[in-house]
Amino acid sequence: MDEMERELRQSLARRPAPSRLKRRVMEQRRQQQSQRTHQRLLLWQRMAATLVLACTLGGLLAWRHTQQQRKGEQLRQQVFTALRITNHALNQMNQQLTAHSRDDQE
Amino acid sequence: MKNRIATFVLGALAMAVPALAQNPPSLLPPAMEKQLAARASNVTEVTLGKSMLGFAAKFMDGKEKDDAAVRQLVQGLDGIYVREYEFDKPDQYSMEEVEQIRKAFETSEWTPMVRERDKKSSETTDVMMKMVNGETRGMFVLSAEPKELTIVLILGPIRMDQLGELKGIGGLSSLGDVNAKTKVKIK
Repeated sequence: MDEMERELRQSLARRPAPSRLKRRVMEQRRQQQSQRTHQRLLLWQRMAATLVLACTLGGLLAWRHTQQQRKGEQLRQQVFTALRITNHALNQMNQQLTAHSRDDQE
Repeated sequence: MKNRIATFVLGALAMAVPALAQNPPSLLPPAMEKQLAARASNVTEVTLGKSMLGFAAKFMDGKEKDDAAVRQLVQGLDGIYVREYEFDKPDQYSMEEVEQIRKAFETSEWTPMVRERDKKSSETTDVMMKMVNGETRGMFVLSAEPKELTIVLILGPIRMDQLGELKGIGGLSSLGDVNAKTKVKIK
């Protein structure tokens, strides 16, 4: 019984904390905080980069689409211009042929 | 190292060959083209290859009346090349120049359909068709008026019945009449 009591007393006896414990705990806490801040910063940076990338990509796609629309419209107009010119030339030919046929008949 | 050079050369060739193949056919000699453009008061040049025509066809979505018909016509074509020169006064080009342009198309593959000469008004019109196995694979129009010179080259399969449907473009159905007017007339 004495033995057990002695062990118990020894275990429950108040012992002063090691001198560096507080410093180590504080240092660890600081490290954890700094790590958490760093991770949060990294997350925000990633989000910002993704947003910038998405905006740039979206802008580029929109610009490309507009350019293609403009080019397509220009080409479309060119096709119609070419066909109008062709038509004009052939109309002239038709008129000449009609006039000549009329002259022949007369 | 040699392999890399060979790969580079082959790569460059692979890129250059299609680019060369897409070179538009010359409607008229470059020197003459420059001279005519310099003399003309108004020049219209249209050079549309197969890929450009295909791209343009995508934008024919029914905004204009003839969009659908033109899209159908244009999709199968290999190219449309047009030069129109308008002059302030007559005699800005010679008949020798016109003959030179026309002669370039006087080959076995081009069949003259209409050859119109009006000495009074000095107007000439030539229409030639490129026929392959009985099908129209091209059309060349050369129209010379005192103050206007028009050269049109359309390459690829042309269906005349489709052309007749194009009513909106100032009555483009004239194109459809070409087949019916196969004659040579000099007055």
